[in-house]
Amino acid sequence: MKRLDLAMFVALLPILVCSHLLQSSTARALAQPAYASRQLLWLVLGAVLLLLFAFSDYRLLLRLAPLFYVAALLALAAMLFLAPLRAGTRSWLVLGPYTVQPSEFARIAAILAAAALGARHQKELLAGRTALQLTAVVAAPALLVALQPDLGVALTFVPILLAVLWLGGLPWRTWVVLALSVLLLAAAAWLWYLKPYQRERILTFLEPDRAPAGAGYQQRQSRIAVGSGGLTGRGLRSGTQSQLRFLPAQDTDFIFAVWAEETGFVGSVFLVLCYATVALRLFAIALAARDRGGTLLAATVAVVFTTQTLVNMAMVVGLAPTTGITLPLLSRGGSSLLATCISLGLAQSVWRLRFANL
Amino acid sequence: MIFLRDDLRPVRRRTVVFLACFVLAFAVIAFRLFSLQVVQAPYWRSLAENNRLRRLPLEAPRGLVTDCNGQVVMDNRPAFQLLLFPEEMKEPERTIQFLTRLGLAEEGEVRARVARAQRTSHLPSVIADNLSWAQMAAVAAHRADFQELAVHPATRRAVPAGPAVAHLVGQLGEVSPAQLAADSRLRPGQLVGKSGIELSYQEVLGGVPGNLVVVVDALGRQVSTLDEEPPKPGHPLTLTVDLELQREAAKAMAGLVGSVVGIDPRDGAVRVLLSEPSFDPDLFAGHLEPARWASLVADPLKPLQNRALQALYPPGSTIKPIFAAGALADGVRTPAQSVYCTGTSTIYGHPYRCWLAGGHGHVSLERGIEVSCDTFFYRLAFDAGLTRLAAWARRLGLGEKTGIELAGEMAGLVPSDEWSRRSRGHPWYAGETISVGIGQGPILVTPLQLAVAYAALVNGGFLVTPHLVPEGGKPPRPTGIDPAVLATVRRGMERVVAGEQGTARRLASLPVAIAGKTGTSQVMRKKEGVKWQELPWEQRHHALFVGYAPPAEPTLVVVAVVEHGGDASSVAAPIVARILAKAFGHDVEISTPQLLLANPSYQPEPTPPSGGPAQLAEVRP
Repeated sequence: MKRLDLAMFVALLPILVCSHLLQSSTARALAQPAYASRQLLWLVLGAVLLLLFAFSDYRLLLRLAPLFYVAALLALAAMLFLAPLRAGTRSWLVLGPYTVQPSEFARIAAILAAAALGARHQKELLAGRTALQLTAVVAAPALLVALQPDLGVALTFVPILLAVLWLGGLPWRTWVVLALSVLLLAAAAWLWYLKPYQRERILTFLEPDRAPAGAGYQQRQSRIAVGSGGLTGRGLRSGTQSQLRFLPAQDTDFIFAVWAEETGFVGSVFLVLCYATVALRLFAIALAARDRGGTLLAATVAVVFTTQTLVNMAMVVGLAPTTGITLPLLSRGGSSLLATCISLGLAQSVWRLRFANL
Repeated sequence: MIFLRDDLRPVRRRTVVFLACFVLAFAVIAFRLFSLQVVQAPYWRSLAENNRLRRLPLEAPRGLVTDCNGQVVMDNRPAFQLLLFPEEMKEPERTIQFLTRLGLAEEGEVRARVARAQRTSHLPSVIADNLSWAQMAAVAAHRADFQELAVHPATRRAVPAGPAVAHLVGQLGEVSPAQLAADSRLRPGQLVGKSGIELSYQEVLGGVPGNLVVVVDALGRQVSTLDEEPPKPGHPLTLTVDLELQREAAKAMAGLVGSVVGIDPRDGAVRVLLSEPSFDPDLFAGHLEPARWASLVADPLKPLQNRALQALYPPGSTIKPIFAAGALADGVRTPAQSVYCTGTSTIYGHPYRCWLAGGHGHVSLERGIEVSCDTFFYRLAFDAGLTRLAAWARRLGLGEKTGIELAGEMAGLVPSDEWSRRSRGHPWYAGETISVGIGQGPILVTPLQLAVAYAALVNGGFLVTPHLVPEGGKPPRPTGIDPAVLATVRRGMERVVAGEQGTARRLASLPVAIAGKTGTSQVMRKKEGVKWQELPWEQRHHALFVGYAPPAEPTLVVVAVVEHGGDASSVAAPIVARILAKAFGHDVEISTPQLLLANPSYQPEPTPPSGGPAQLAEVRP
């Protein structure tokens, strides 16, 4: 236990407490008391998994990565045919009263696979071939998720690719090519892939007054919630925006807005600091790792966790468009919570074994 | 096994770059939080309050209106309104479709109401009132889909007295943008008086609307009430009108077209004010249904017109006592002076016929009124000239508005040479003066003006201002006519009923003594040898009668005008008689020859005009 990174736990603990407080607050507003108790169960399970993976050997897991990866791809492919259609996507498996989102776990497999692949090439710069392999490894599950279709989760695969390519040392010319192709791809997606509501979201972000009653509604309500919190907030469970349900998706995408409304600037900055501390510790672990695999694994986990956190917070405070990316650890959803805990556990494992000899 | 230490420095260097970027990003988030939550907090807080607080208008119940005996003319009944909160409307098109399906109105009208509501986006507008239970249930069931709609209990104007008082009470209508701008107490979509008493006494009856501040959730449900500012109900109003007489008048005029006006000659208090055909005042108690409005406007009989003060008629022989008083007062005639009537008199080389072909023989002024001798008044007009005739008419209030509280009153027409040149483009022809002498030609009065003129004849010569509310009248203005003159004229009018040859002698058997004057005003030139019953309805003469009682000290003057009524004594006089009898406590059954007069649009199967003589009114005490 002493060999784990306690500083991260110190930052995690308030986040998990907040998570429970917020889940009970929104469960009340939504008149769904079961949400809070179920999420508490996931929290406990997540903590157990975190410790379990902290005491595993990440090197062994990296060696087994291809196995997990293939299993994940098969599971995602099977989802397209077997999973029931819920809310327009085939993202969830229904197990009794619980639903599981395999894409969240597939992401861990993708992180492990990408880190394992990146670790095999110990050169200063990435060869083009390796870069292509890495891209393929990350893109395959991401595409399968996008087909479900779950754009929000599919987007969370992008940081994995960015992380391994950047850390592996992709030559700058390749970055330029990549940037151009992303632009092209984005244009193509805009024209042929994005649904009208998704386009509307992006347009709304770029021009907030475009449709105050339509797609801009969520963003506007979110900013009202955050801003009306003031310095010290309106008190737990007393936020009018969340309790009277003006705030949409308040238990998932916009949960940070609930916290900001109910605890104000003081509480929201505290929570931001907690997340920043966790992120900081993840990067510290990456820097302290003893081998390339550990560094890549911890750094990728750090990048994924931090990007997701920042994108979600930016969306809540109106600095980014509504993307459907949830806030790790805080948003309701068992699979997301467990997957985040597992990835944090992996990082802890890297930290725990940083001095270990072969 | 040789352990080759991997060179991790480049990877770590790149990791630090990531770290730096993210630290910066966290700082940006924190700064944004500071700007939203500390710098702009009051702004966002007010938006949050707007989100959760709704101001519901509480309509003020309009004041109770009663007649002079305390009978209810107008009150309120509970009704449910549909309010629209334009700011919360996300897809106007969907809302419009929903409202149309509810059956509130046709789509175009719904669209117009929604558009009107959107003009005042910060306040809710009344989209419909008088919701049915089914409509309320439908709105409640779709509350989550249409949060901009709210059903709101309110009151609706009720007029228990019905069509009999429709023109009197007037209409309510939605407040106009100009009124809204002028008076901050008014709300968009609020109902205000548009005509009649509702308009004239809007200040009294209107009250001040209140507010209900409620907390609502995102689905528009009321969670709690935060503040209530109760409405101030309108003040009650008592009218001078006697509902019983009004109803009697409506009964007597059923199926006819015209007007009945009854005023107290002593102070001008209006007892009866009826215009027929009428309409259901409930149509105007709330927000108007355009289809029904359009059908009323298109009706050729103009049911919306208040004929008592807006319709102009040549007074016919009812002008005779007015000119008689003038002639006596100005010395054009003396009571003893008589004229010999042969049935025709030639003036300016043109034969002017008396209505009685054989002539009346020697006719004094009193008898001239009694038998309504045209020859007497042709001569009188010839001797007086237009200027004096006009002055006598004006002295008794003709040619100018009476000043009643109701809007839209017509001034009528008292001709002059100057008027003729201005309006008709040719000078006054001397021959026209002779026609004016018997109330024909370019002289036009409203039934109300006639009532005021007669009131002055019988109250000692004072011009009263007719009014509907006891305090509404102005002090009577003296006309300066000698009481002896008026006494002569009144004797003539008494002989109209009581005299052996009186034109309304059929009313002599009434249980109450009355006096008055008949009048028949020509619509078309009289055809020789054609009885009026044989003419098509729209070519028949207007029948007029002005009566008052008791003859000695009159307390009620009643004017009845029946458009195309044909004959004054058998059609208009019985109506007046019936009302006067009722006013003095007698119920009389008078069968007016209604079937002959019934307008085709009121009689699905018109009875062919009978060729027989005019039925005499049967008067049974």
